[in-house]
Amino acid sequence: MKVDVKSLDTFNQLAHEGAQEATRSMAQMTGIDAAVDVTRISLIDRADVGEELGSGEFVGVQFGFEGALSGETVLIFEDDQTTEIVEALMPGASDDENMAQSAIQEIGNIMMSGFIDGWAEHLEARIDHTPPGYIEGTSEAILPDDPDVGDHDEVFVFRSEIQWEGESVTFFIYMLPEYEPMAQLMSEYAETGEDAIPIEKLAVFNKMTRQGTEKAAENVQQMSGIETEAEVSQISFVPIEDVPKQFDEKLYVGTVVEFTGVPSGFLLVLFDEASAVTVAEALMPVEMESEGLTEQHKMAIEELGNIMTSGFVDGWANVLQQTVEHTPPTVVHDMGQSIIDPLAAQLGQFQRHAFVIDSQMKTDEVAFQSEIHALPNEQELREALETLDVDRADQTEADHIF
Amino acid sequence: MKVYDGSQSDEAEEPGPERVKVGIAEYEVTADDAELTTSGLGSCVGVALYDEVHAVAGLIHVMLPEADGMQDDKPAKFADTGTELLIEEMEALGAATGSIEAKIAGGSDMLDFSEGGSGIGDRNIEQVKETLEAYGIPIVGEDVGGDHGRSLRLEAANGDLVVKSANQENQRL
Repeated sequence: MKVDVKSLDTFNQLAHEGAQEATRSMAQMTGIDAAVDVTRISLIDRADVGEELGSGEFVGVQFGFEGALSGETVLIFEDDQTTEIVEALMPGASDDENMAQSAIQEIGNIMMSGFIDGWAEHLEARIDHTPPGYIEGTSEAILPDDPDVGDHDEVFVFRSEIQWEGESVTFFIYMLPEYEPMAQLMSEYAETGEDAIPIEKLAVFNKMTRQGTEKAAENVQQMSGIETEAEVSQISFVPIEDVPKQFDEKLYVGTVVEFTGVPSGFLLVLFDEASAVTVAEALMPVEMESEGLTEQHKMAIEELGNIMTSGFVDGWANVLQQTVEHTPPTVVHDMGQSIIDPLAAQLGQFQRHAFVIDSQMKTDEVAFQSEIHALPNEQELREALETLDVDRADQTEADHIF
Repeated sequence: MKVYDGSQSDEAEEPGPERVKVGIAEYEVTADDAELTTSGLGSCVGVALYDEVHAVAGLIHVMLPEADGMQDDKPAKFADTGTELLIEEMEALGAATGSIEAKIAGGSDMLDFSEGGSGIGDRNIEQVKETLEAYGIPIVGEDVGGDHGRSLRLEAANGDLVVKSANQENQRL
């Protein structure tokens, strides 16, 4: 089964419009103005779904759907942010747990009906759904159990992030379809042209990314002595203008390189400011006297970014059996969104959509978290996947070449 | 919304004008005293238009210089078609090009790996200027170029454009 840019785009848009429809329903009921920030379709390692939810408490609704697509969907709010939405619907209800629950359920029901109906209409197919059930839980535990993915290690996830105008309230819609019907449906929407990608190869690319990240994490550990674990690797597909939206105005420190070969593109290694200070100081032979981030910290980050980049890129090059070269790292220290914006713009001159490859590493030892993001040239990524021998990728994994 | 300085969240606690977020390749126009905001401009450019006479304001966040040859159906993504679109939408709300003034910010050349020629940030700025000039709209304030990111807030009540940068003082244009 193959997917192409057109089919990925169709499904991405479908999920986005569904989320918009759901948001409009909510706005009508509550008078709260909200907008869908970003929708992305990702292929994620099963174990990594919901990592981005952090450690917060969530409430929401969940229901199953069946038909042209089968699986589970949830709509979740951060627990401490529900008061306003409950009050808007049923004044006074937020003091009463049962009433608050039924208000959430009511909103969830209305929103999600819009979401699923939109899909069914577009696909001209029948999708039934079960009545919504109220759910509450911590971080990713609130998400539905893995859908049936057969022999696959990955799961397709549609995620929409919705933000209230002028409020710091965000909620999420997650849709986790069963693998086979989803893959089947997407391949039906693909044109049988040259740019079709076998779905399994996207999954292989995910594995490469995970291993590249593991190699990078190993390098960090060797250099800093901080035990570091690779977490989350996913490949997502979004319109090019949505690429910077996964970041906000939070400050990051890190390095950016352009890599050449097939595929070419950009690779970012980013640390939030606090992590940058922690990890840089672990690398320095002497104790720092100054508070905050100094030029010396940045130099240490540059060095670290360089070895992480090399580890990551070497991993890819091994599997692709191609040389992947990269420019020396440029150190960045700015708002996350404005760091990635010029890179998206450079790719945007040639493509309307982007595959974004994200991975994360963190450690329990100290407050340290780092992200690696790759933005490959879309057409070249397709070429690379075309020549990619799936067996070879598995072989490489077994041989621990990374 | 997460912010990198304390000022915005402090202000948010007091009931103020409505705040409307403008995403990348998006625009907003208003005839009320709203505040239009956009964040994370790198090489992107924010074009803020204000017609004091007719009390109409608009903000757009463009990403690339020219729509020509791009086969794209999102005019707001490009400096040329986006600026035109914003002017038209302002006019639809009662503004007149003769009384519109422009302020622009963004277009930094950070992380520009383009070989030779000018970078996307520069070309975005040039294109915005060219389009505004074609409509005879004067640029009365600008904070462009450099190698840092910016976030913007256009106060529709008075046409002030507040430019925030990560490592610099806020500027009011």
